[in-house]
Amino acid sequence: MLTLLSRRGRAQWPLLTSLLVTLVVGTTLLGTSTLLITLTSQRSVEVAAARAEPDDVAVTAYVAGISAANAGSVAADTRSVLTSAVAPFPATTVTRASSVMRELPLAGPEGGGYLAAIEDLPSRAALLTGRWPRPGATPREAAVLQSTARLLGLDVGDRVRLGDEMGRDPNGPVEVRVVAVVRPRQDAGWDRDPLYGTGYAADPPESTSARPVRAYGPFLIDLGELLAGGSALGRLEVSARPDLSDPTSRDLNRVTASLLRADRRLNGTLGDRIEVERVASPLPGTLLDARRQQQLTSSSVLALALIGLLLTAIALALAARLTTGVRTGESDLLTALGTSRRQFTAVAAIEAGALAVLAFAVAVPASSLLYAALTRLNPLADAGLTAPVRISGVQLLVVGGAAAALAGLHILLAVRPAPAAGDRRGHRELLARSGLDLVLPALAAIGWWQLRAQPAGAGSRADAVRVLAPALILAAGAAVALRLLPPLLRAAEQVAGRTRGFIWSLAASGAARRPQALAAGLLICLGCAAASFGTAFSATWHASQVDQAELSVGTDLALSLAGAPVTGQSATVRDATGGTVSPVARQNIVVGQWLGGPGSSPRLVAVDTRHSADLLRGRLDAGRDWSGVTRGLAPATPVTGVALPRGAVPAIVGTATGSSPVQVTPHLILRDENGLQTSCTAGPVPLDGRRHAVSRCAPVPGLRLIGVTLPVTGQTEVQNVSSVDVTLTLPASSAPAPQWTVRPGNPASSQLTNEKVTFDGRKLRVTATVSFADSAPSSRVLVATAFAEPGPMPVVLSTRLAANVNAHRGSELTFAVDQTAVKAVVRDIVPEVPSEPGEAAVLADVDWLARALAVRGNVVSPVTAWWVGHPAVDDARSRAGDLRLGPVNTPGAEADRLAGSPLRASYPAVLRVLVAAAVVLLLGGVLLHVVCDTQARAVEVARLRGLGVSRRGIRRALIGEHALIVLPLLAAGAGVGALTSALIAPLLIRSETGAAAVPAATADWPWGAEALLLTGLIGACGLITGAVVLVQARRADAAHLRVAS
Amino acid sequence: MSGPLLSVQAVHRSFGTGPAAVHALRDVSFEVEPGTMVALVGRSGSGKTTLLNVIGGLDRPDSGTVVVDGLDLGGLDEDGLSRLRRERVSYIFQTFGLIPVLSAAENVGVPLRLARADPARREQRVAQLLGLVGLDGHAQQRPGELSGGQQQRVAIARALAASPRLLIADEPTGQLDAETGLAVMALLRGVVESEGVTAVVATHDPVMMALADRVIRITDGRVTP
Repeated sequence: MLTLLSRRGRAQWPLLTSLLVTLVVGTTLLGTSTLLITLTSQRSVEVAAARAEPDDVAVTAYVAGISAANAGSVAADTRSVLTSAVAPFPATTVTRASSVMRELPLAGPEGGGYLAAIEDLPSRAALLTGRWPRPGATPREAAVLQSTARLLGLDVGDRVRLGDEMGRDPNGPVEVRVVAVVRPRQDAGWDRDPLYGTGYAADPPESTSARPVRAYGPFLIDLGELLAGGSALGRLEVSARPDLSDPTSRDLNRVTASLLRADRRLNGTLGDRIEVERVASPLPGTLLDARRQQQLTSSSVLALALIGLLLTAIALALAARLTTGVRTGESDLLTALGTSRRQFTAVAAIEAGALAVLAFAVAVPASSLLYAALTRLNPLADAGLTAPVRISGVQLLVVGGAAAALAGLHILLAVRPAPAAGDRRGHRELLARSGLDLVLPALAAIGWWQLRAQPAGAGSRADAVRVLAPALILAAGAAVALRLLPPLLRAAEQVAGRTRGFIWSLAASGAARRPQALAAGLLICLGCAAASFGTAFSATWHASQVDQAELSVGTDLALSLAGAPVTGQSATVRDATGGTVSPVARQNIVVGQWLGGPGSSPRLVAVDTRHSADLLRGRLDAGRDWSGVTRGLAPATPVTGVALPRGAVPAIVGTATGSSPVQVTPHLILRDENGLQTSCTAGPVPLDGRRHAVSRCAPVPGLRLIGVTLPVTGQTEVQNVSSVDVTLTLPASSAPAPQWTVRPGNPASSQLTNEKVTFDGRKLRVTATVSFADSAPSSRVLVATAFAEPGPMPVVLSTRLAANVNAHRGSELTFAVDQTAVKAVVRDIVPEVPSEPGEAAVLADVDWLARALAVRGNVVSPVTAWWVGHPAVDDARSRAGDLRLGPVNTPGAEADRLAGSPLRASYPAVLRVLVAAAVVLLLGGVLLHVVCDTQARAVEVARLRGLGVSRRGIRRALIGEHALIVLPLLAAGAGVGALTSALIAPLLIRSETGAAAVPAATADWPWGAEALLLTGLIGACGLITGAVVLVQARRADAAHLRVAS
Repeated sequence: MSGPLLSVQAVHRSFGTGPAAVHALRDVSFEVEPGTMVALVGRSGSGKTTLLNVIGGLDRPDSGTVVVDGLDLGGLDEDGLSRLRRERVSYIFQTFGLIPVLSAAENVGVPLRLARADPARREQRVAQLLGLVGLDGHAQQRPGELSGGQQQRVAIARALAASPRLLIADEPTGQLDAETGLAVMALLRGVVESEGVTAVVATHDPVMMALADRVIRITDGRVTP
């Protein structure tokens, strides 16, 4: 038997080689996919952690209510708990602390101030005058913010006495000497200052005093001095940033578990030395998200690898069938000589085993090399997932298992006797095949339905349906297409039969009637379908990343401000980027009584909707564009206001009747030429009839004064009523004076009556009768504006918000924006609001919003970002980044981030492998089939020559016959690929969080790439067929005529 | 045209070179008159099939001339030889040589299709020939559905379809039992007479030799008396 095997192997080496190649291609694909699913998948989490933004891995402990005696020990213990929580990763810590509010005699009886310390102060503030504070001096050296210095009239060298602490068990006064005036840097953590780095607040949120406090600060001193200097700490914040530059999965798991216990541990460590503590870190969530995404990617990679495995099995079955066909005579002879079935099985097993061993020996290094090569290509290389040539245990197991299983299939087909016509097994097989034709589409339909029904939310289920559905649907499509081909061929035969010539008639008859003509049909159709599907899926996936990125960013370039917007910023941004620039308000709001769903609040996005077409990005439903959707959101008339030349210093003078002193704190509401609304405060101004300058409010040209708010303060008494008369003198202007209006900031307030405003082109005079019965300061805010009450703000809602609050076009809603009620009317509903994918969100006009807030006395600019449409500068992104105003993003960068994320980079890589494997297996199948077919028909070809058919005619007939079979199969495969990608590609694509993609992915059929693929396949099949037929026709000589048919 | 339909003069054909060379035909010469049936007899390996292939233009002699119906085959290129087989020479193979995917009628119609005959005339001629070989009722059956004798009769009908001048048959009864073989030989003899064709039939069947007008013996590649 071994001799037989050896000699047969030598004689049939082309066949055995094709079997081996098929085995190697399939197992290599599986081995490569295994490495992607295991090594790359695991590494992707590590790389994702290493590449995470510092803020996404920081661990921060917030501690409040610390007595002076415990300040030092609490800070040390907190640092210790955090660094041990992120062990074994080394971590750097940053500590910031602020004292409780102290009296500040310098600022009057209601004045308050506080000490604070920030490690690495020079990186967080710019030194304007003086030098940085040093420890050890007496009195302590302090730096103050520019705004604090201006409001308190401080300069370098001044001494400031901070009195007793406000609240219980106060510590005694401290004195500091100002050695520096500084300006907060953007994005330097000033949002966590008690006064948000503004230097002043009339009613600070953290005041522990029952009486009104006007707070100034911080007075920045050395951290060690603050912790040891006899001050109680209002808040202590320690941030630890672990160095995750070279993490391992095990260490990441350990840190995740440790961080989840850190809060309890810190609580236990600090005990009753503090009032409140909390440890917060996005790191566990970041890692959890990474693992969820990793699992989703792995299941998708597995799904695609399964398609490859299915193709391999079909290719192998074809090779085995053809081999069996070639060996029929030999088998019949051996059977006649008495060879038993067991002996046949043994021979087949030895041959299959040898093939499996050889395939294993080749596929293991081949898959490792292919894997290493893939990781050196983008996007895996860009994602930092480059890997050396490696062999893993799982890979050995999978490749070995697959080789053994495929070898088993070969044995099964090899020992199965060829069915005789009409025998019972043939009928059973037909029945089974018919059943399979029904079962496959049914299973495919179930898979499709399951994919459609998968939840929209995030989930990491790598369920069987998700993994099997693509392979099932492709297989079912190919099987159905294959059943449609014979009638088509019969029709072609009928047409050809009506012609006079012989060649096409013979070709059509051969294609339609030859039993083995469609032997490779399933492989060709499914291979083409898999390659088309892989190509289309890749295009759909990339298009979806772009769609998601566009909607997620919302515009062409988004600059999110790290701090409050500054007057004149719009010109800076415009100069850096060019294009259409708009201030943008993005913030959480409350809609009526609805606070939002779990984990998310309703979001407001307000932009300059006059330029929606230039600014807004994100796919809308068909037939609509952003320009049309936002029409009518902007106020009909622009606000003109009064021009305030650069360096202008308005003056304010006022009087008040009554016995007790009355003062106002005027806020000038300014608008720059790009619509950025800011405010400038002059500090408290006593209404004493004297003139007070409002300086430093016009640092840049192009500003216009569009409003003034005047919070009136006085002694709270029921009988205290005063008539106030405030005049703001502005620089002379030749422009026509706008019509000013005045009203109480709180329309429900009864504390302001008889309010009037006049403006003569230079002097803005506001008069009112003020009652001081109500203790709430907000009840006495006069608001004068150069525009009328704007009325309900027209808005566009996202579908989700509209559904949640049951709103429709024309519905009236009330939003709480920064605690200010804004009435709104719904103009339209869109699937998503730009920059807020999947959220319950509102789109409004930023001008209308600013006006609506201003008339309610809210002068805090709602602007949190700048959006730029069609940037006119090539390197707009980097130039905007150079402004250091905050993070900059563009749809292109976001799409690159989404597509190139280490957690998702395996997707496109395995798609490439799938397409390549499908093409190789398909062409291999075609080669095998054509070779076997022409060999089997060598005698027939020779006889045709005997009948007078020329070699050219024979070539045409054979090529025509194969073309009649291969071309429709390729076309059907492309059709099945197109249909499958249209049906399931959008359903397979999920967002980076694992939830359904927003906007929903739509099937993208890349005509160019598909045409190239199909043309390439047709060309390659043509070349293979042509070459084989050419050789065969040349070899068809008289010698064949003596061979029995 | 007067004179022989087939003239073979001093034909040599060998395969291989050097000491291992096989001399299939050695100085073979003979002529066949029109309308006669010649039996070419000899042992297996004597060179019968090689001689038939040379006569039919499927193989070229190393030397010598073959003239069929006035055409010197040595002067014909590949296309000329193909045209010769389409128009003047027909083959009948030992293994029938039918195209398995075509029906009996379609197989008979192959030479007519090659000649691009009018479909109506083609169908008429096919029906006539199937009737001639006694297979009227089997026109739509494929070769696999016919017996050996029926297949060979289809092959004879196909060989006559294009009205050839020369019919070449290589052991046409070799695959048939004696009774069927006799019937096929009788048919062949009949159509030679009725269609007026010339036939060269390789055989070692004595009955066939008896039916032939002339017997040419070939031994080790030489024509022997």
